[in-house]
Amino acid sequence: MNRPAQASITRLEDFVGGAYVLSDPAELSVHQADGKVPSVVVQPAVVAQVAEIMRFAAAEKLTVIPCGGCTKLGIGSPPARYDIALDLSRMNQVLAYDPRDLTLGVEPGVRIKELLRTLAEQKQFLPLAVPFADRATIGGIVAANSSSPLRHLYGGVRDFCLGIEFVTGEGVISKGGGRVVKNVTGYDLHKLLIGSLGTLAVITRVNFRTFPMPPAQGMFAASFSDSESAFRFCRAIAQSVLTPQILEVADPGAAHFLFSAETAARISPQHWSVIISAAGQPSVVDRYARELGQMTSAANAADFIPLSDAEHASILARICEFPRLVLEAVPSAVIFRIGVLPTAMPSLLKDLREVAKNWRLDLATLTRASGIVYAAFLGEEENEASLAGIASAAKEIFHICTLPENGAQAMLEWCPAKLKRAVGDPWGPWRRDFELMHRVKSVFDPQHVLSPGRFASEI
Amino acid sequence: MQQQLIRELVALLGPKAVLSQAEDLMLYEYDGSVELGSPECIVFPSCTREVAEIVRLANRYETPLVGRGAGTGLSGGAIARNGGIVIAFSRMNRILEIDAANLRAVVQPGVVNLDLSRAVEHLGLYYAPDPSSQRSCTIGGNVSENSGGPHTLAYGVTSNHVTGIELVLPEGEIVRIGGKTIETPGYDLNGLLVGSEGTLALVTEITVRLTRKPEAVKTLLAVYDTLDDTTETVVDITVRAITPAACEMLDGFTLRAVEDYVHAGFPKDCAAVLLIELEGLTEAVEAQAAAITEVCLQHRAREVRVARDDRERDLLWKGRKNAFGALGRLSPTYYVQDGVIPRTRLPETLRCIEEVSRKYDLRIGNIFHAGDGNLHPLILFDERDREQFKRVVAAGIEIMTFCVEVGGALTGEHGVGMEKNELMPLMFTPEDLDLMRRVRAAFNPAGRLNPGKVLPLGKACGEIRVQPMPVSTTIPA
Repeated sequence: MNRPAQASITRLEDFVGGAYVLSDPAELSVHQADGKVPSVVVQPAVVAQVAEIMRFAAAEKLTVIPCGGCTKLGIGSPPARYDIALDLSRMNQVLAYDPRDLTLGVEPGVRIKELLRTLAEQKQFLPLAVPFADRATIGGIVAANSSSPLRHLYGGVRDFCLGIEFVTGEGVISKGGGRVVKNVTGYDLHKLLIGSLGTLAVITRVNFRTFPMPPAQGMFAASFSDSESAFRFCRAIAQSVLTPQILEVADPGAAHFLFSAETAARISPQHWSVIISAAGQPSVVDRYARELGQMTSAANAADFIPLSDAEHASILARICEFPRLVLEAVPSAVIFRIGVLPTAMPSLLKDLREVAKNWRLDLATLTRASGIVYAAFLGEEENEASLAGIASAAKEIFHICTLPENGAQAMLEWCPAKLKRAVGDPWGPWRRDFELMHRVKSVFDPQHVLSPGRFASEI
Repeated sequence: MQQQLIRELVALLGPKAVLSQAEDLMLYEYDGSVELGSPECIVFPSCTREVAEIVRLANRYETPLVGRGAGTGLSGGAIARNGGIVIAFSRMNRILEIDAANLRAVVQPGVVNLDLSRAVEHLGLYYAPDPSSQRSCTIGGNVSENSGGPHTLAYGVTSNHVTGIELVLPEGEIVRIGGKTIETPGYDLNGLLVGSEGTLALVTEITVRLTRKPEAVKTLLAVYDTLDDTTETVVDITVRAITPAACEMLDGFTLRAVEDYVHAGFPKDCAAVLLIELEGLTEAVEAQAAAITEVCLQHRAREVRVARDDRERDLLWKGRKNAFGALGRLSPTYYVQDGVIPRTRLPETLRCIEEVSRKYDLRIGNIFHAGDGNLHPLILFDERDREQFKRVVAAGIEIMTFCVEVGGALTGEHGVGMEKNELMPLMFTPEDLDLMRRVRAAFNPAGRLNPGKVLPLGKACGEIRVQPMPVSTTIPA
């Protein structure tokens, strides 16, 4: 917003009230995305205001980035332009919660931490054990399709999100899906919004199915001297009748992010660790303890430890916060989120280690055994040579993922803004289906005012 | 249809892969619904390249195209509403890859649902979505309709089991979306395509998740003397957060028809039964079975019977899965509803259906996926009786309206098709429908792919304009 800025601000104040249009530098800085600062922050309270703001933005060609806790504005490509931060944190109500029906409808600004507390009162939960848990909001979690270790058993957001109400780039209030657990009426437009990073529409309500809390849970750690053994053990679990709710593999580089001093004394950080959590009746959890113990001996594990409740809580929290812990320790870290088949995991991880070695970077990987690798490459930011190395390494990783033996789908989820241009498109190499995504974008946001440039293929 | 187009199709596919005689066309003018529409020719491609060629030809001749699997759909999805070419996928029925270690299979669209489960049975695996028509319906059709089945209560519908699709777009372009991995960067195009009822693209290859067979399965039959006790049990099972793999309800009227047909051992003198299946680790199944038995008895179940072996279990399921056919023996025609309600509203919904049955003087059998609130009231009628058919349509609309009013949906697994498209405004605003139309136009700009489906017909729809065709068009003049 350049010259007509004041006029625009006056209009926005008409929509939401003067107190909710912010332009002091501190506020603007909180809402920055990859170093780009908006001209103004607007805080609507209801969906009608969101629609008015979007209609105005579309008419004036002002670009809008929706946000809540502002924890994931660094994901994706740097925005091409950024005029208005559409801060949805005032839309923070639970609109409908029917614990008897196990369904829920919430506004986007509801913080996950508070929502989980509300659900816990009814002995229910959502399997969203996501990073930035203290500040992350539902809208952001859905828009970024945040990954949760619990997806191993419960699936990702798309599997338990029943419907979404949203406002398009033209300011039209619309919806996809519904409120019931089974529904095939019309196109599943809501699924398009999951992971769309605010490029298609502004999410104004999300409906979920909720899950009953299991009567008992238990967490176990198995240690292995090498990655092959660790993944062989994971495959043995996959081929058994056991269905753990979490199955994660941490390499030695990830260990010091995941294990507190106390847990590190019990779980050797030099090893590859497999973290398993089981849920169900106490007799079920007992059986996991028994059978996992037997399976670890058969798999030549260095160690197998049932963890205490305190250790369970500590490790789970750190697994969820893995990207955040890495970024806090090494702000220049680049973190890939890679979709990969279980059988390709050992080969992919070997290749990733090779890249790290060649470019003298440290590597920390946390692998969801169901098919996602988080790979963090750690260099020193101050050092120009190191930055160049990180950028080159990133390009190599995209290449490695496309190799037939890896068959992986990589996205550079976290990367310092100044490196993004150097690594190319964080969404990975061009694919033919990107053209279909452009078509979708032009339907939802024909003026390209919503988060322009943040998504794949410059959407 | 231009004879020239048929000649070109024959040249492309060979004479055996093109049908255009009147007696052949008649066999393809209906599906499992009460709808009707006559194609002008049926083609049987054997590979993706041929599908793309057919699409290009159809474009040149500006002819509508409709994909078809086994024709078991229940909302008219595979019917050539505006004539044109039906692309039957029955020759594209190969399982291309079974990747047991990664729990994936790659299949052509004409693979029969149950055939995939059978092909991986020896590996201890199966394909989870299990529509009642799974012996004949195809995975391509399942993808189009986002099909469900009794066990989707625990395992989800087709959409939850598809990771990748190869598409032929209406321009004839071949594109892959998703893949074998559990996630692919970018918009969830799989999520959009599954359940799009063949209106966005033709599906020529599908990558699906396979599921490991559970260690233990227990099937319970709870028998009730009143409908209210039955529905209250379902509510209570949900409220107590017990998640069975399946929880099916059949009312007494349906049961008697089923028992006469299948001889599964259902009691013929009861008001309703619940067929409940539990799956998982032995310990979990035992605990759940005890909890569910307790709930059933608290709600005055007359009896809770446990299937003693696979034979008894299979027989109970045979009864359930053949229930539509059983009711079909009682009347010349039936009209299946597919509404969904919040699960806690089951008792009042059943009372509503009873009232509708009385009001319109129609026999209605109730077969529900009760556990997820997906209802299949079957309205029995004689299609030769035009006055009666009017009452059937009105009764159907009244039931669906009730479902939407209590916060539910028009269809849980059968799709909108040409049966419920005019009812879409019950659930969606003009703005919602306009957005869906624009999404369709982004993929299918000429409206040539499966015209007249999903969305209400109107001036804005960009398709060949036809008269609104409610279900009553099936009545012979």
